[in-house]
Amino acid sequence: MTCRSPVALDALVAYWLGELPQEREAALEEHLFGCTQCTGQLEELAALATGVRATVLDGKVSMVVSEPFVDAMKDAGLSVREYQVEPGGSVNCTIGTNDDGVISRIRAPLAGVQRLDVVRMLGASGPEERLTDVPFDADSGGLVIVPSAAWLKAMPAFTMRMRLIAVNDAGEKQLAEYTFNHSPS
Amino acid sequence: MPRSSLLVELDDGALARRIAETGAAPDSAAEAELYRRLAPRVRLYGLRHLRDLQAAADLVQQVLLMTLERLRAGKVRDPESIASFVLGSCRMTVLEMRRGTRRREALLETWSDAAEPCEAPEQEALDPHRLAGCLEALSERERSVVVLTFFADRQADEVASELAISGGNVRVIRHRALGRLRKCMGGGEEVQ
Repeated sequence: MTCRSPVALDALVAYWLGELPQEREAALEEHLFGCTQCTGQLEELAALATGVRATVLDGKVSMVVSEPFVDAMKDAGLSVREYQVEPGGSVNCTIGTNDDGVISRIRAPLAGVQRLDVVRMLGASGPEERLTDVPFDADSGGLVIVPSAAWLKAMPAFTMRMRLIAVNDAGEKQLAEYTFNHSPS
Repeated sequence: MPRSSLLVELDDGALARRIAETGAAPDSAAEAELYRRLAPRVRLYGLRHLRDLQAAADLVQQVLLMTLERLRAGKVRDPESIASFVLGSCRMTVLEMRRGTRRREALLETWSDAAEPCEAPEQEALDPHRLAGCLEALSERERSVVVLTFFADRQADEVASELAISGGNVRVIRHRALGRLRKCMGGGEEVQ
């Protein structure tokens, strides 16, 4: 049966996350309980949310996150190995067989930065990969990066160089460089 | 139990009325069809309000078995409005679960003798490898917003404060990212 007034995806997302005012939430629930089509859309969204959670729990995705997110990972029972590296610094790192993830805290002077790019290079002459416009909180004084644990566990020893680039209307400027010396456990 | 095409064509209200009219001689095919149809709605309600898979599954069993019992006994005043009746039951049961006035085990025990007419269809899981690839294909900002949002079901304003951007900005990024994810997974149009 086709719904005559299908609920927009944004409204379903807002409902799922508890962002709607109480009256609108109640009206939307009345609609959902009488509508197979919109229930199907919400099921799809719920499956996506479940899938995203599972992907993170399985360490299959790399991401820039926040400190509260690290807490959420730990609350979910994940065992995370944590590193911190200062501007110009290097760190010897690994991932253990019992580790669910690795957290890299990249310290950097981010005050006044409008856009931040991360450039990373695997090995001494590997191709550069540029991550554009990564999210950051200037007040936090750095980035929290979570590489894919599944990828890390499959990797032999390697060295990765990483540069943070501040980008604004006038051009770009390198903020700092970091070196990660990874060895398998 | 195979689904009857006649029953599939009935709307929820007509199906409920049919169950109510059979009274003491249950129409198991109609009951199974109504259960199959309403179970996803109740489970989603449970997941949304209880954030727990097992609690949501318990809610499905509790609410739908109680609904069928009341229909059979002629205690649903307006079978045509069965969806509203089930929603009301969900709200009451979740409230009771939250208040802890009735433990989940006690709720289930109430209906333990009632035969479950059919298995509730499970939520279909997405291909994890494909989803990981689709997530990696998002921009850094989109991936961060999606992960921060759905790992612990966090609202836009919470995610915004963690990423030092506005709630409106998070909603825009979230909308775009979900459109891309759905298209990548083969389930929807990409949002520009």
